[in-house]
Amino acid sequence: MKLAIRNAHIVNHDKKIRGDILIHNNRIETVGEVREKVDKEIDAQGKYVLPGFIDLHTHLRSPGREDTEDLYSGSRAAAKGGFTTIFCMPNTTPALDNEGLAQWITEQARSIGLVDIYPVGAISKGRQGKELTEFGGLKKAGCLSLSDDGDSLKNSSLMRRAIEYAKMFGLLIISHCEDKTLSAGGVMREGAISSKYGIRGIPCASEAIMVFRDIELTRYLNARIHIAHISTQRSVEIIRAAKAQGVNVTCETAPHYMILTDHDVEANNFHGNWKVNPPLGSHEDRAALTRALAEGVIDCIATDHAPHSEEEKNLPFEEAPCGFIGLEWAFALSYTGLVKKKVLTLGQLVEKMSYNPARIAGFSDKGYIRPENTADMVIVDLDCPEKIERTDIVSKSKNSPFLGREVQAKVVCTIHQGKVVYRAG
Amino acid sequence: MEPWQKKHILGIKDLTREEMETIFKIAHSFRELSQREVKKAPALRGKTIVNLFFENSTRTKISFELAGKRLSADVLNFSSNMSSLNKGETIVDTIKNLESYHPDILVIRIGYSHSLINLSQYTSASIVNAGDGSNEHPTQCLLDMFTVQQEKGALEDLRVLIVGDIMHSRVARSNIFGFQKFNSRVSVCAPPTLIPYDFEKLGVEIHDDLDQALKEADVVIMLRIQKERQQESFFPSIREYVENFSLTPERLKKAKKDCLILHPGPVNWDVEISSQLKEIVHPLILKQVENGLAVRMAVLYLVGTRKREYEISD
Amino acid sequence: MDTYKEKTPLLSDADIKRILLRLAHQVLEKNTHAEQLVFIGIQTRGVYLAQRLQKIVKELEGIEIPLGILDITLYRDDLTTVSEVPLVKETKIPCDLKNRIVILIDDVLFTGRTIRAALDEIMDFGRPHRIELLVLIDRGHRELPIRADFVGKNIPTAKNELVEIRLKEIDGKDEAVILRKKR
Repeated sequence: MKLAIRNAHIVNHDKKIRGDILIHNNRIETVGEVREKVDKEIDAQGKYVLPGFIDLHTHLRSPGREDTEDLYSGSRAAAKGGFTTIFCMPNTTPALDNEGLAQWITEQARSIGLVDIYPVGAISKGRQGKELTEFGGLKKAGCLSLSDDGDSLKNSSLMRRAIEYAKMFGLLIISHCEDKTLSAGGVMREGAISSKYGIRGIPCASEAIMVFRDIELTRYLNARIHIAHISTQRSVEIIRAAKAQGVNVTCETAPHYMILTDHDVEANNFHGNWKVNPPLGSHEDRAALTRALAEGVIDCIATDHAPHSEEEKNLPFEEAPCGFIGLEWAFALSYTGLVKKKVLTLGQLVEKMSYNPARIAGFSDKGYIRPENTADMVIVDLDCPEKIERTDIVSKSKNSPFLGREVQAKVVCTIHQGKVVYRAG
Repeated sequence: MEPWQKKHILGIKDLTREEMETIFKIAHSFRELSQREVKKAPALRGKTIVNLFFENSTRTKISFELAGKRLSADVLNFSSNMSSLNKGETIVDTIKNLESYHPDILVIRIGYSHSLINLSQYTSASIVNAGDGSNEHPTQCLLDMFTVQQEKGALEDLRVLIVGDIMHSRVARSNIFGFQKFNSRVSVCAPPTLIPYDFEKLGVEIHDDLDQALKEADVVIMLRIQKERQQESFFPSIREYVENFSLTPERLKKAKKDCLILHPGPVNWDVEISSQLKEIVHPLILKQVENGLAVRMAVLYLVGTRKREYEISD
Repeated sequence: MDTYKEKTPLLSDADIKRILLRLAHQVLEKNTHAEQLVFIGIQTRGVYLAQRLQKIVKELEGIEIPLGILDITLYRDDLTTVSEVPLVKETKIPCDLKNRIVILIDDVLFTGRTIRAALDEIMDFGRPHRIELLVLIDRGHRELPIRADFVGKNIPTAKNELVEIRLKEIDGKDEAVILRKKR
């Protein structure tokens, strides 16, 4: 089976060319000019072809809350958003903390076959923060990384052991940074707005303290760590300093932290659809995050795709669960909010969504369009204004703070392992 | 005078100064009604008011209940402890349920800050906020200001000091917004642990020395201290709190002679206010209660007789 | 908002003065026990008319008849349909109404709805022996079975007209006019 994409702008993070791509089965064979006869052709005239996006941070809710998302609906959402590889976090019910469960996810994902799904194993049993899980078993079942996402390990000694022990398997520790003794009871960023409405706030120090602790442990142990969904200016500053000193730390942020702030929470009357953890920050945070992204302090964009039912999101703000869906419009939002506003170049956005996540996860054959690499790619239209509509959502979770928002770009086709897994209607 | 347009009374934040003045005017005439032999007028006859209290309250509930009854409305009381509800889902269910009875006004007390605007989509009734979490308690502010207006003659250019648990106080927030709308300067005085983060951005002055803060105040609002706050380490002991923040005869001497002392009640005597001051401060605090009834009647009256065709533009 | 234009003057200040004097005489003539009387004026112009009548009676008989003020806003049957904020004004009943003869005083008698509201409100203050109604002008078009006991002047009007009484105390001069709705 040979597939050719013709007349495309091919964009890698470091290079842009015009030309054709030849895909043979699940591999890229040629990039440049394709003369030979193929089984199938896609004319990408006027469109851009980018390496398939890789999301290091999603919640697919399976097992446990299949009413809000499952591996199939999550895969469809990913494919629609141009993602070809996604990682799913272990805060499921039961927690994804053993080889058997990880194996089940890996097999399910393979049989669905729309995108690659890598389960992230829990660091501690039941995500209770008390005993380590079997890292070796989780690795055998397909895990490339470990996290207790949703919680920080309160116990610094256990975190030390996790970072040390993970080295033996080359597993990546993804740290959710939050000092829950500080954030407990808080539902939005602590600041003038939370104070004005008497809503319990989460101080930005809650994130920064844990970022600092985990970086310090990583430095001390000469190990490696990836910090999840950073949301504050202070975290950026701490990571910037650590990187400058050579600590092997990488980090991600999510599109919503670069678009929304706590002012949007207020403007939308504290509806549950604007509740997320870490909470939306101040204007200063947003500015610091976008700058850090451009400067490379923040390595990648992850969606923190976190589906919840509408019923739950309609609860009073203090009771509503945290999280937004993110897969379907991550690129459109980032392109509109970052590239159109000249914060990033298109190449840099590819770096944040494809190339860097591939490096961080350890994929040598993903994140770059070149011969021999896996044929994961996405075709986008960069001049296609459209409105984000509820009816277009393919995730089972039909709520988002971005509904009604205008975006400037659109994923028109997603190719995973050489097969077209999504085509815009 | 413009027709009353507000469907809901959710907070002082959303009221204009003119609207507050209208409420004061109406409240003034309702004080007289309560002195008649038949303390009742048929203004809201045939209307149904539901007092929906998801949090314990005796005083506010009684005040709203009597206010509704004095205006001849049918008043239902529904009390439920939030913790016994299943996570607030049933708050929506409860409101939807009550909607079947076509209530005209829901008076709601709820533990969730600023949650009423989102709940209003589940009912066609007007909502009157009787206290939502730490956000607002608009009728308390209105009765405080109404009392100050009676005592001082005006509400402009006063220096208002609020003392106590500012962080968790809906009374403090409503009074801050209320007095500021009348160009009065509001200060707060409390241990720094009980001052919300970035609070100076609301345009209030922040003090932690009561003796100093008292000097310039025309009005002092003493807030009730919940004893649980000590267990949460907002201050180490009631004793130390009292030492620094209780209004005592010695401290009162430092205040202006015509300074008004208000308290939303019930007072913890010898905690917020020394019992030696009971004779001096209690009459005004009781007057607040009386004014509370008049203000709540005014609010129910305005919301309840609001011209229906304005609903379209809501 | 409807706009009206002036049509015809009905009563001059001299007319009003004469009528009030006659009405005072009529009231006293009918009620021989003047000490039983209470004058209650309906807000706003009824109050001033009541004050004037009280003064006339004092000059005639040397008795000071207790004076009450009644605001019927809360008793209106159209509270939810009026276009302005139905501002509640002062109500003041000077004495226990039990066994008293109440002379209820208003400027214009029209549909009778105001009087219905006033009667209900007075009843809430106590049980008078009798209530009698005194009006300066009766313009007809009753919607309720109500009639006045003392009428200054009967004036037939059209429904789209408005009878306006102006009094020195608030309007600067005494007169009554008919206004007609502008087309």
